[in-house]
Amino acid sequence: MERKKQYYTTITRRLLIAFFCLSILPIVSFAWIMKDAVEETNIIKLQELTTSTIEHRTEVISQFLQDKINLLSLLVSIYPQDYLFNLENIEKLFLAMNSGGDIVDLQVIDVSGNQHGYVGPYRDKIKGKTYSNAPWFMETLISGVHVSDVFTGYRDTPHFVVAVTDPLKTYVLRATINSSMFNALLHSAQLGPNGDAFIVNRAGVLQTPGLLNRPELSATEKELISFDNISSSLVTEDNIYATRWIDKGHWLLVLKANIDDSLGYYLRLRDRIILIVVIISIISMSAATFASVSLSRNFEHSDKEYAALNQQFAQVEKMATVGRLAAGIAHEINNPLQMITNQAGWIGELLPDEDPSQIKNLEEYNRAVEQIKHHVQRAGTITHRLLGFSRKMSTQQESVKINDLIEETISFVDREASYNNINIVRNLAENLPATMTDGPQLQQVFLNLINNAIDAVGQNGEIQIHTRFGKNNKLVVEFADSGRGIPPENIKHLFDPFFTTKDPGKGTGLGLYISYDIIQKLGGTITAENQNSGGAVFTIVLPVISFGSKI
Amino acid sequence: MMHEFSVLVVDDEEEFRDLTVRILLKRGLSARGAASGQEALEILESSHTDVVLLDVKMPGIDGIETLGEIRKRKPLIEVVLLTGHASVESGIDGMKLGAFDYLMKPIEIESLLDKLEQAYEKKRLQQEKIEQAQIKKHMAMPG
Repeated sequence: MERKKQYYTTITRRLLIAFFCLSILPIVSFAWIMKDAVEETNIIKLQELTTSTIEHRTEVISQFLQDKINLLSLLVSIYPQDYLFNLENIEKLFLAMNSGGDIVDLQVIDVSGNQHGYVGPYRDKIKGKTYSNAPWFMETLISGVHVSDVFTGYRDTPHFVVAVTDPLKTYVLRATINSSMFNALLHSAQLGPNGDAFIVNRAGVLQTPGLLNRPELSATEKELISFDNISSSLVTEDNIYATRWIDKGHWLLVLKANIDDSLGYYLRLRDRIILIVVIISIISMSAATFASVSLSRNFEHSDKEYAALNQQFAQVEKMATVGRLAAGIAHEINNPLQMITNQAGWIGELLPDEDPSQIKNLEEYNRAVEQIKHHVQRAGTITHRLLGFSRKMSTQQESVKINDLIEETISFVDREASYNNINIVRNLAENLPATMTDGPQLQQVFLNLINNAIDAVGQNGEIQIHTRFGKNNKLVVEFADSGRGIPPENIKHLFDPFFTTKDPGKGTGLGLYISYDIIQKLGGTITAENQNSGGAVFTIVLPVISFGSKI
Repeated sequence: MMHEFSVLVVDDEEEFRDLTVRILLKRGLSARGAASGQEALEILESSHTDVVLLDVKMPGIDGIETLGEIRKRKPLIEVVLLTGHASVESGIDGMKLGAFDYLMKPIEIESLLDKLEQAYEKKRLQQEKIEQAQIKKHMAMPG
């Protein structure tokens, strides 16, 4: 039984695995591939966008700075030194060139670092300061043209300057760039809320404030952008970085795009795919589970039916074999029995001829002869019953009302039952059709079953007799008792001839065998089982045969 | 009071046949044995017999066939069938063919004798009827 259960569990499991492999696995793999493909496409697109944006920004910023350099160079080449050393002239020039507000101030410094003119808001702070030691100043004198890093200087505000010298390097013309204007150029390049655009110098120091308000770069970012990757962009787990050198490699423009920012659409799509996959998986898994379980249930059911049918066939076959065997044995025994009774009879015939005075134990001999005859008769009764000879030669057909037959049978045993305090409960269906059958033989079966039930109950109990109209035009009669039931190992042998659990001499073991035989001949079936409540129940199923039809 | 009549015991089993014959003789009947159907038919041709005790199952021509022959040749002789086996069909066949009764082994000698006597009684009554009919016939045809 346990093995059988395991077998059906295995079937269920295999079916489930098959269903899983055939339905869910493909869906999930497809969804997974789709997800990866969409993600990858998205990154490639973002990379392209980043590259084109940085190209454009590089151009704009370089152009901006070049414009300022060109402007200052133009002033130096057009105006003589004396003109530029005059503050009024500088003011005029500043007003003329700074209509857009790109420049914060304009300053003229001679080669030794002394100021010769300043136009701008920081006049007071830089008054009287010399620039001979300022790094940007020295760099300008060396290179002729210079764009400084961001520094604080005398004015205490971070800023950067564009400066040029005259060809003879006698003075420096310097302009401070409007940081907010310059930063705006960068910040318009921002890609997404977590994107960033900033400029670092070669040392990795931020030259423009990033959009994310960080004072300086993280170590990983510094490392990531420490090399020039003009051709390709750098993709990390969360971000895409694109970098371009500007101002002849002096500064590095960095554009950072956050992948998650641009993934909005993709993420929604992915969530939807996952949701759909999960729903489909749940539906198909439940369907598969349902199908597998019900399929294996069906298997189990039909296997059981098949086994039961097989058992039934085996029982019929066995009973037929046993019947033939018993008949054969009975036949072989009858001849010797006849000889025994004849020989005893012969002794009985001869004894009266003897002289009684010569035979000491004449009475004993006569008694022995009678006993031999008696026991032969007993044995003969058994062989005759086995051979069915005591039964009618042919089944007679008459219209029988089962309920009446049962009532009549009960009347035979009522006295014995009430003597043992056994209550016979009738539970007889009304309006049962009468059937053409052999009433006396059927009654023999009923009587046998009721007697067995009385024996099984012993004392103080109940016998229930239940009749009903069953499926396929059959009459069903059940005899249930409140006894101890039939031991499971005995159920198989119940209808075998000579199988008895009664005390020796009390039962021949032929009652149920003959009952079985009779019911079989009447076209019905008889089965025995134990009730859940404990007692045994015998069920007879008989066909309803209407007058004139044959079995 | 038992009438004296003659019985032919037909059985292939010698011990049974001889013992039965001896018992019948002891009871004052006239009895003979025959080991086969063939032999029985020969004896019936040559000597007087009232009742035949016939075993159904024998080698050669069996009881039922023998019965048929007896009924054909000697319709007045009554036949009691005796068998050790349970063939209900052969019993029915036997009765149809006109056997007096069908007995099942083992049967006590008393019961057997009763049955044989009943058979003889039937035969005797029938014979009487026939004889009376013949007398009537003779009386109806004087001279």
